[in-house]
Amino acid sequence: MTTLAITGFLALSFALFAIAIFGILTRRNFILLLVSLEIGMNAAILNFVYFAALAPVNAGSTNGLPGQSIAVVLIGFAATEIAVGLAIVLALNRSKGSINVADSTTLRN
Amino acid sequence: MTFADFALPFLPEILVLVGVLLVLLLDVFGVKRIEVFGSITVGATLLALLFVVADLGFLPFAALSTVPASRIDIPLAVVGTPLYSFTSLGFVFQAIFLSATLLVSLASMSRSSYEKGAGVFYALVGMATLGMLLVGIASDLIFLLLAIEVTAISTYLLVGYTRRDPRSLEAAMKFYVIGALSTVISFFGASLLFGAYGSTNLYYLRSVGGAVGYPTLILLGYGLLIAGLAFKVTLVPFHAWAVDVYDGAPSDVSAFLAGGTKKIGLFAFFLVFLGPVLFFTTTGTSNPFNAGVLNTGPIFQIVLGVLAVVTMTVGNVLALMQKEMKRMLAYSSISQVGYMMIGIVIATSPAIAGATLQIFSHTFMKTGAFLVVAAVASLGIGPLISDWKGLGQRRPWLSIAFALILLSLAGVPLTVGFVSKFVLFSSAVQAQGYFIWLAVAGLLNSAISVFYYGRVLKVMFFDAPDPEPEATVAGPSPPVSERLSMGGLGYARASTIALIAVVIVTFGIFPQVILGPIQSAAQHFLIAGP
Repeated sequence: MTTLAITGFLALSFALFAIAIFGILTRRNFILLLVSLEIGMNAAILNFVYFAALAPVNAGSTNGLPGQSIAVVLIGFAATEIAVGLAIVLALNRSKGSINVADSTTLRN
Repeated sequence: MTFADFALPFLPEILVLVGVLLVLLLDVFGVKRIEVFGSITVGATLLALLFVVADLGFLPFAALSTVPASRIDIPLAVVGTPLYSFTSLGFVFQAIFLSATLLVSLASMSRSSYEKGAGVFYALVGMATLGMLLVGIASDLIFLLLAIEVTAISTYLLVGYTRRDPRSLEAAMKFYVIGALSTVISFFGASLLFGAYGSTNLYYLRSVGGAVGYPTLILLGYGLLIAGLAFKVTLVPFHAWAVDVYDGAPSDVSAFLAGGTKKIGLFAFFLVFLGPVLFFTTTGTSNPFNAGVLNTGPIFQIVLGVLAVVTMTVGNVLALMQKEMKRMLAYSSISQVGYMMIGIVIATSPAIAGATLQIFSHTFMKTGAFLVVAAVASLGIGPLISDWKGLGQRRPWLSIAFALILLSLAGVPLTVGFVSKFVLFSSAVQAQGYFIWLAVAGLLNSAISVFYYGRVLKVMFFDAPDPEPEATVAGPSPPVSERLSMGGLGYARASTIALIAVVIVTFGIFPQVILGPIQSAAQHFLIAGP
C-alpha cells in the first residue's frame, strides 16, 4: 500500500471547516445555514476517515476500524440534527412567513 | 457475563427510556391529560434517582445498588478502554441531573390539564434526561459528545415546542444555530485528537498525555473542544445565546435548561480537561512545543482560569443592568458558571468537590428561581422586576421561598449556596499560588451579586404594590390562575417550590450529609479516571 502524505487531506478538511464556520456566522438564510452546518460536520467526518486510514500506528487502536465506525455513526447523527433544523425552519416559515434569521429580533436587551 | 449482568447497571437509564416510550405510546392512543404524562415521568425519574442514590451507597438504599462495587471507580490498567465506566462522581452528577428533571416535571404538571402537546413535552424532557444520564457514565470522547447531543437535540425542540408563540420559536432557532455550531466545533476538535492519539478513549488520552507527539494537533483539538463545550456551558465570549434562549423559552423549560442540561457541559469539562490540566504538567518542560513532549498544563490552566474570571465578572455586571427578571436570572446563571469553572482550573480533589457542590446547589437554586418566575407569570404579573412590587404582601409564602433562593444564590450563611461557595473558594486558597486570585475574584463577584439580588428583595418586600395591580391582567380570557388551586399556583408547582426551599435550608444547615460522599467521589475520580 502506498503511503500518502496527510497534509493535503488535512488541508481539505480544514478548508471545509473554515467554510462552514464562515457560513454559519454570515449566512442569514436558514437553509444555507443548515448547508454550512452539514459541511462542517462532514469536515469532522472526513478527518475520522483519513486518520483511520493513515493514522499513527503508535496508538491504542491497532487498526482503523474505530475511526471508520465513528464516521458512520456521525453521518447518522448529522442527519438527525439537520432533520431537527428543518422542523424549526418549517415552524418558522409558518409563523413568520420568512426563513431569514435576521428577521427574528424580538428578543433583545 | 449474562445479559442481566450486562443490563442491570444501566437500570436508571432503562427506567427513564421506558418512561419516555410509555408517554409516547399513551400520547398516540389519545390520552390527553397532563397529569398522566407527568406522573409517568416523575415516577420513572424518581425510581431512577433511587437506584443512582443506592449506587452511591447511601445507607437506607445501599442494598438496592445495581452496579457491583467491583465495577465502580476502577483504574485504567484494570478496565481497559471501554466506552462507558461507572464512577462515583458520575453517579453524583446523575443524581443532580435527575433531581433537575424531577423538579421540572413535577412543577410542569400544574399547567392547564388539556394543554396541547403535553405528551411531547414530557417525552422530550425524558429523552434529554436519558442523554444527561449517559454523560454521567461516559468514558469515551465520541460517546460523551453524542450523549451531549441527545440532550441538546431534545432541548432544541423543548424550547420551541410551543410553536404558536413567536418568541419561543425565535429562541429555539437561536439555540439550534448556536448549539449546532458548537457541535461542529467539538466534533472537529475530537477528530483532531483522534488523529493525534489514534483513540478517543478519555482514560487513554489522559494516560498518554502530551507524550504522543503531534503538539499542534493536540493543542488545536483541545482548543476547539474548549470552544465547543464553552458554548454549551455559556462561558463568556460564547454566552450571548443563553440570555435570549432563557428569556424566550417557556419558564419551565428555562428552569430545565439553566438547572439541568447546562450542567452536562460542566461534567464534560471534568471528563475531558482534568486529564490534560492535571497530568500534562508532569511531563516535559515549560515550552509547549518542545520537541515531541507537550506541556499543555499551564496553557489550559491559564486559558480556563481567565475564562472563569471573565465569565463571572461579565455575567454579574450585565445582571446588574437588567430590568427583566428572566434576563437577570439568565445573566446570574452565566456568572455562576464562572464559579464552577474554578474547580476545573484548580483540579485538586477539594476543588472538584466544591465545584460539584456548587453545581448541586445551583441546580436547586436556579430551577427554583425559574419555577417561581413561571408561577408569578401564571398569576398575571409582568416580566419586569418592577412588576414584582409588593409581592411580599400579596403572596407572602411564594415571596419567602423566592427570597430564600436569592439569598442562597448570593451565598448567605445557613443556605446551601453559602456552603458550596465556602468549600469552593477555600479550596482555591488551599491550592496556593496564583489560584488565590481566583478566590479573590469569586469573593468580589459574590459581593457584586448581592446588589442585584438585594434589589429584587427590596422590590418584593419594601416597595408598596401598585394601587390596582389587577388592572394589568384585564383581558378577554381569565388568567390561568383562576383554574388552579393554591391561590392560582397549583398544588404541583407550589409543592415543588416548597421542596426546593426545604432542600436549600436543610443542606445549608447539614451540609455534611452530601459533602462527605461528594468529597470521596472527587478523590476517587482523580485516582481512577474519568
